[in-house]
Parts: sequence; C-alpha cells; structure tokens
Amino acid sequence: MVTTSLTIEDIVKKTPDLPTIPAAALAVMREADSSVSTAHSVAAQIAQDQALTARVLRLSNSAYYGLSRQVVDLQEAVVVLGMRCVRNLAVVAATYPWMSKPLKGYMLAPKQMWTHSFGVAVAAQLVAKKTGSAPDETSFIAGLLHNIGKVALSIWLENKLPMMMNMAIKEGIPFDELERKVLGFDHADVGAFLGEQWNLPKIFIEAIHYHHRPDECIPPNSVVDCVHVGDYLTMAMGFGLGGDGLRYDVSENALARIGLSETDVDELTEDFVKEYQKYESLFEEMSRD
Amino acid sequence: MTDTPVLVGLAEIQALNGAAMLTCLGLGSCVSVCALDPVANVSGMAHIMLPQSNPRSNSNKPGTFADTGVQELVNSMEALGADRSRLVCAVAGGASTCTHIGMDFGKRTADAVVQKLKALGVKCAAADLGGTVGRSVTMSTDSGNVTVNTINMGESVLCSLREAA
Repeated sequence: MVTTSLTIEDIVKKTPDLPTIPAAALAVMREADSSVSTAHSVAAQIAQDQALTARVLRLSNSAYYGLSRQVVDLQEAVVVLGMRCVRNLAVVAATYPWMSKPLKGYMLAPKQMWTHSFGVAVAAQLVAKKTGSAPDETSFIAGLLHNIGKVALSIWLENKLPMMMNMAIKEGIPFDELERKVLGFDHADVGAFLGEQWNLPKIFIEAIHYHHRPDECIPPNSVVDCVHVGDYLTMAMGFGLGGDGLRYDVSENALARIGLSETDVDELTEDFVKEYQKYESLFEEMSRD
Repeated sequence: MTDTPVLVGLAEIQALNGAAMLTCLGLGSCVSVCALDPVANVSGMAHIMLPQSNPRSNSNKPGTFADTGVQELVNSMEALGADRSRLVCAVAGGASTCTHIGMDFGKRTADAVVQKLKALGVKCAAADLGGTVGRSVTMSTDSGNVTVNTINMGESVLCSLREAA
C-alpha cells in the first residue's frame, strides 16, 4: 500500500535545509580513527575550523576536567581530552545545530531529537563497553547519527503522524514498518542514503540503515546491535520521545549476539542514566554557539 | 500555589505539604506514582525507572526501583503527616516496545509498582499503564486531578484523587 510516488532521492533533493556535517568534523573523525594519528595531526585538523578550535579549548578548560592551569595550546588540549573525546565533541558540535531544531513530522519539540540522539550515543557506547562486543567510540558516533533520516523525512510527514500512529496501532505493526508501507521506505533507509552522500564510513551507514532491523544486516555488525539496544534503552527512559513513541521492535537475536541478559539490561539502564546525566549538559554547553 | 509544577525527574521522589502541582515529563517505560492524603493535604510523586532493587546496584536514589521507591514515597509522605490508611494514588507509564520479550521492563516496572502498593495497603484509584506511547503526568493537589498527556492524544484527566479517597 505505497501511497506516494516519492523516492528517497526526491526526499533528499527536495528537502529544504537538509542536514550536513562540516568537512572539518569529518576530517577530525577520520584523523582520530587513523592508526597513525597523533595529538599533533588531530590538532592540525581541528585548527582548520575556528569554532571547533574554540570548543576544544573551552572543554579542556572546563570545570569538568578541573585543571589547575589554563590550556591554551590546541595540541595540549587534545592530550588533556583524549583523541576520542575530541572526535566525539567534533561530531556532536557539528550535528547539534540541526539536531536541536524541532521536527514537526515526528512531533519532536526543539532539542528532543538531540536529546534522543545523544542518549543513543551514550547508551550504545556503554553497551559496547560492557559487552566488549564492539568498539565503544565507534558505537557512540553511530548512535549519535542513527536517526539522521528523520531530519530529512520529517517535513514530508507533517500532520500525518497521528493518523500513521493510529494505523500502526490498529495494524499492530512497528512504526518503521508502517513508514515502509506508506512511503515505500523508512527513516533508516533515508538516513543511510544521506550517510552515503556524506561519504560516511560503511560501519556508520550500516548502523543508520539497520538500527531497527539489525538481523537484516549481513554479515551481522556488532555496532549495529549496540545502537539497536541503545535506541531501545533510550526510548524506554523517555529521552526525546516523539509521536512514534516506543512503537519499534526489539531483536532478541541482537541481544543474544552481544550477550545481554535481562539482569544485564536492568543494570545497564541504571548505568546509562547516570552516564547520560553526567555528559549531556557538558556536551550541550560545548556545542552551543 | 504557583502555576509552575515541581518537576519530578528520573528516579526522584517529591513529597509536599499543602497546595502543589507535581509533574513527571516524558515517561517511556518508567512509571509515575501520584499519591495524596486529602485530609493531611500531603501529596507526593515518584518517577520509578526499574522494577527491582538488587545488591549490585550502586544507586543512592531509592526512586530508581519500584520496591524501594514506593516505600520511600510512602515514608516521605508519612514524615509530613500523612496517614498510610488515607493515602490514595494513581499510576501511569510503563510503556513498552511493541514486541513482548523478556526485556520488557515497562511491564515489569508497572507490575512491581502495583504489587508494592498492594503490599503496603495503599489504594490505587486509577492506572494508565502499558501501550507504546510516551506520557507526561501532572497532579494538582488542589483539585486532586491526575492528568496524563500524550503527544498524539493530548491531555486527559485520569482521575480525581480527592473524589476517589
């Protein structure tokens, strides 16, 4: 029952204010991931972007790190924060401007998309760390970006969401399945297409594409599984819930693949909320202009 | 009473004397317990995250779990002059993802809250539990009304705790 002739390409072509990731953030991400990177080489990439330079220095001098001296040198700031933290900050700051906008199509108030995305980043990272199943920093970035398709698709769903949610409840199907039924594709498909346009590494594109259907990622990808579980924990804790609520499936196979039991999930949830509350305001403060 | 509600965050418990407005925003699988002693005019709200406390937990917030959270809510209200036999409450939240699996802690938390209230002999006048939608819950001690707000359906009055007492 596809009720529109729109294609993903149309969505991406016709959506005004489509999100982008600044080149500097992508360059920092790639450099920090490189096996030959150094504090000097990462600092050199950061220095290409004035706003990012200021953010990195601001964070290294924040009360959170509690240094007795002032950090004025970018390379020293990278050492203080760690390359992975700098990478996370670069991507969070690059996505914050459009993630903090309201998404009417999903009935997300201002900042709710960011709240949810940052929640999934923290949760996916924690799941990866606790299970040792995936690289935790990669899981953080993958979690942060998992819903970028919603940003593009939102405008096309405006005023349709209550009707679609009622249909999903009536038919007893998850919301992403309904999107596919109505549009021919879902927000994860749109996000993966967008990720390809941005030349994101394959691991992130897979996490975006399969975050609701991790069993369809072949071969299985543990980062996808961590993002899937992280998304579930974040929805359960009510962080950035939209009109689609919690109407998504959870894959027992994904939980089994990364080795999580019921007891683990309760404990993880407790730890997740603590981690989220520890970092959310810090990262948000550093991402604001 | 001010119009600004007192926000009860994740795992928090609030108990107040006199006129007040209390609210839990954005409940997913968490459960909000709203309680009132209409005679002593003491009200309270808990934002419960998980079903059962366990020895491995390092949480210092009793509101994290249903068993410790409901107990602490009742204790805090009694400390302000409430009488357990007069307490009446309403519960809302406990949403789940749409498949039913062992990990369904929305349902487990809701069940644990209801069980603990029963064990303490606290009357539960109304419940809006389960489903797949997020909820916000507000309680006004003036009217005793507990209202539930969902993004899709808007606001509706779940019950009046004063009338149910």
